[in-house]
Amino acid sequence: MVQYNFKKITVVPSGKDFIDIILSRTQRQTPTVVHKGYAISRLRKFYMRKVKFTQQNFHEKLTAIIDEFPRLDDIHPFYGDLLHVLYNKDHYKLALGQINTARNIIGKIAKDYVKLLKYGDSLYRCKCLKVAALGRMCTVIKRIGPSLAYLEQIRQHMARLPSIDPNTRTILICGYPNVGKSSFINKITRADVDVQPYAFTTKSLFVGHTDYKYLRYQVIDTPGILDRPFEDRNIIEMCSITALAHLRAAVLFFLDISGSCGYSIAQQAALFHSIKSLFMNKPLLIVCNKIDLQPLEGLSEDDMKLVMEMKAEAIKTVIAQGGEPNDEGALLPMSALTDDGVIAVKNAACERLLNQRVEMKMKSKKINDCLNRFHVAVPKPRDTKERPPCIPQAVLEARAKASAEKEKRKLEKDLENENGGAGVYSANLRKRYILANDEWKKDIMPEILDGHNVYDFVDPDILQRLEELEREEGLRLVAEAEEEDFEMDGKELTPEEQEALAEIRKKKSLLIQEHRMKKSTAESRPIVPRKFDKDRKFTSARMGRQLSSLGLDPTAAIDRARSRSVSRRGRKRERSLAREDGDAMDIDDEQSSKKLRTRSRSRSRSKSRPPGEVTPGEGFKDSAQKLTALKIAKKSVKDRNKAARRGEADRVIPNLKPKHLFSGKRSIGKTSRR
Amino acid sequence: MRLEKCWFCSSTIYPGHGIQFVRNDAKIFRFCRSKCHKNFKMKRNPRKVKWTKAYRRLHGKDMTQDSTFELERKRNRPERYDRNVAENTLKAIKKIDKIRVAREARHHSMRMKGKKAIEQQAAAKELEQSIHLVKAPAALQEDPSLTLPKIRVTVSRSQTEDAWKNNDNAGNPLTWWHRKLNSTLSYASLCN
Repeated sequence: MVQYNFKKITVVPSGKDFIDIILSRTQRQTPTVVHKGYAISRLRKFYMRKVKFTQQNFHEKLTAIIDEFPRLDDIHPFYGDLLHVLYNKDHYKLALGQINTARNIIGKIAKDYVKLLKYGDSLYRCKCLKVAALGRMCTVIKRIGPSLAYLEQIRQHMARLPSIDPNTRTILICGYPNVGKSSFINKITRADVDVQPYAFTTKSLFVGHTDYKYLRYQVIDTPGILDRPFEDRNIIEMCSITALAHLRAAVLFFLDISGSCGYSIAQQAALFHSIKSLFMNKPLLIVCNKIDLQPLEGLSEDDMKLVMEMKAEAIKTVIAQGGEPNDEGALLPMSALTDDGVIAVKNAACERLLNQRVEMKMKSKKINDCLNRFHVAVPKPRDTKERPPCIPQAVLEARAKASAEKEKRKLEKDLENENGGAGVYSANLRKRYILANDEWKKDIMPEILDGHNVYDFVDPDILQRLEELEREEGLRLVAEAEEEDFEMDGKELTPEEQEALAEIRKKKSLLIQEHRMKKSTAESRPIVPRKFDKDRKFTSARMGRQLSSLGLDPTAAIDRARSRSVSRRGRKRERSLAREDGDAMDIDDEQSSKKLRTRSRSRSRSKSRPPGEVTPGEGFKDSAQKLTALKIAKKSVKDRNKAARRGEADRVIPNLKPKHLFSGKRSIGKTSRR
Repeated sequence: MRLEKCWFCSSTIYPGHGIQFVRNDAKIFRFCRSKCHKNFKMKRNPRKVKWTKAYRRLHGKDMTQDSTFELERKRNRPERYDRNVAENTLKAIKKIDKIRVAREARHHSMRMKGKKAIEQQAAAKELEQSIHLVKAPAALQEDPSLTLPKIRVTVSRSQTEDAWKNNDNAGNPLTWWHRKLNSTLSYASLCN
């Protein structure tokens, strides 16, 4: 609830810090660069933006402060009064009011200066206006600096106030200083309040929580109150008075009957009577503390009388509530030191409070809405006859027997312990199987057989199905046997034909292989063309063999090839001889010598020549001249061949920009030339 | 313990082999070896990968529907143990296996049935079309049968066979290796 959570208020910065924050934010979050060459509208816009931005930020932050601090009129009167007691309502309101005015002033400043900026005619003028605007805003904040500091202090203090819920069940503890209030609260709750022998150890309210009948109760410890006229009370006492005044709680008035607090019973009684107006409509309990030092019965006459008076007051409140005039509920002895009667006091207080709250709720108008919704139905008794639950005899006997058996039965655990303990004995899990035949308990069934899961085949009528299957199979076999007859076609090849087919297939695969080889080498490796015949396999004998294997007579072809070979053609002398050989030669005279040379080039033995000899011809005077011509030709070709050029016109550069020349670092030296 | 089927190739996975992959939708994929696992990771469809059972069944290479498959079915309800049933089951498994294998063989032979005729036809056609690779058309005209041509050899010697075979030039009887040498020499001259 917003009311009592003052921890969420944002920090209020001091004046100087405030200015710094806002101005640095303006600098960071608005554009910073501007030149005097820009268009005037752009300059104006730039500076107007800065002014507006600053004003907006101030506005936001100040609004946040104003909103977050609680308004004393809007919160619960307990807190309102408490804050007033602690911080002085007027001062507080003044500070917040100042902040509010500052906000408005800043808004006005910004509005005025933006109006002026609209008519600024140069960068310098606009800049001056902006500086002035921001300066004035910062002066305003500087002036409210003290208010900000005050609010910060209040905030810090408020954050440390105990979180008291004014509407829930509360128990208030009051009395003179040093009577044992804090010890009591330490005993019944988890609060850890300082307990010291000097007065006013507790300087502010402390809250603890305790439980009773599944409900949570707040227990509030107050500082001690002295018997003084109202006007003279200090802030600390005023805290407790406020609490007493505004919280609807059960009040425990503590009485120190031993007098070790330094005040007599008479003084305490006087206090009681002076503040009893505050106990109106509140369940009141008089608690006599420190009975270990002075038992209740041992009090003197006067003291007893005073105590009885107080008790009477307490009883009056009880009657006002509607309870019975009961002695016990009004006056309770206890000792915080020896824990004697502490719980009784707590229970009594909680009980009284609960009853009072329930009564109030019942009397209020809202309760009727709730009451309408639930209804406890109780069956109306027909007559006064007793009808206890009926348990059949057999069940009772069985129950008795089962309980007897449970003690007699031998457990598996005992069995295990007898036979060697946990690691040694392994229980027979099949002992209690329910099978058709008990002998089968020891059977081991295979799970896998021949690559199948046995459990997939398990079936009570598997035999029957197997029989069906076998019958089916038998039928099918019979049918097949009949079919077996016509299978042969009888169009088989004869063995010679098969031979021929094999030969054909072999030849085909050879062709394919050759083609593959040729294809793979053609791109990567240049091959010697056939006419140069480096392996000397293109002979006429080979041709003859191949022709005869195809079934032809090769003699004619061989003769022709031999007679047309270059070695025969080359000799002038032998031309006349050759002419006699056959008609076929004449026709071929006109063919180019190149074509003839592509035919068989085998030289017959009788026409062998020394390797260096050059025959004159082709326009040369003699062999010597032809030799020199050949030499010159070779020389001119040599350099070109060394550069692997195909011919004169071959200027191909296979790699124009080789990577190793155009990239990479050198291991030593400079790379200033590429 | 159960023998599972590999999701990819449908072979049985024995205990201690393979990898199981559980997807986010709780579907379990079991693989018999890393080959199948890697294929799965490559998102290959087993129905398109030739060597898997899924492909073979889909394309009719293997038997798909058969009553022997219905006998083997995963039953999720446990049965109470009965020794007789167990015995019968074990015996039945073997018989069912035999029948199933026989049926698969039959299926295969049915598949291959027309193959011979087709092959023969193809061979005859090839022979007719490509005979020119081994027999020159001139030779084919003389002898129109689709066989290898007869190689003609000219015999240069006029000796009778016996005399040539068993005696050398001087008329001395030859030992067996002489005779062999002679015959190879004559063959060589014939070839050339």
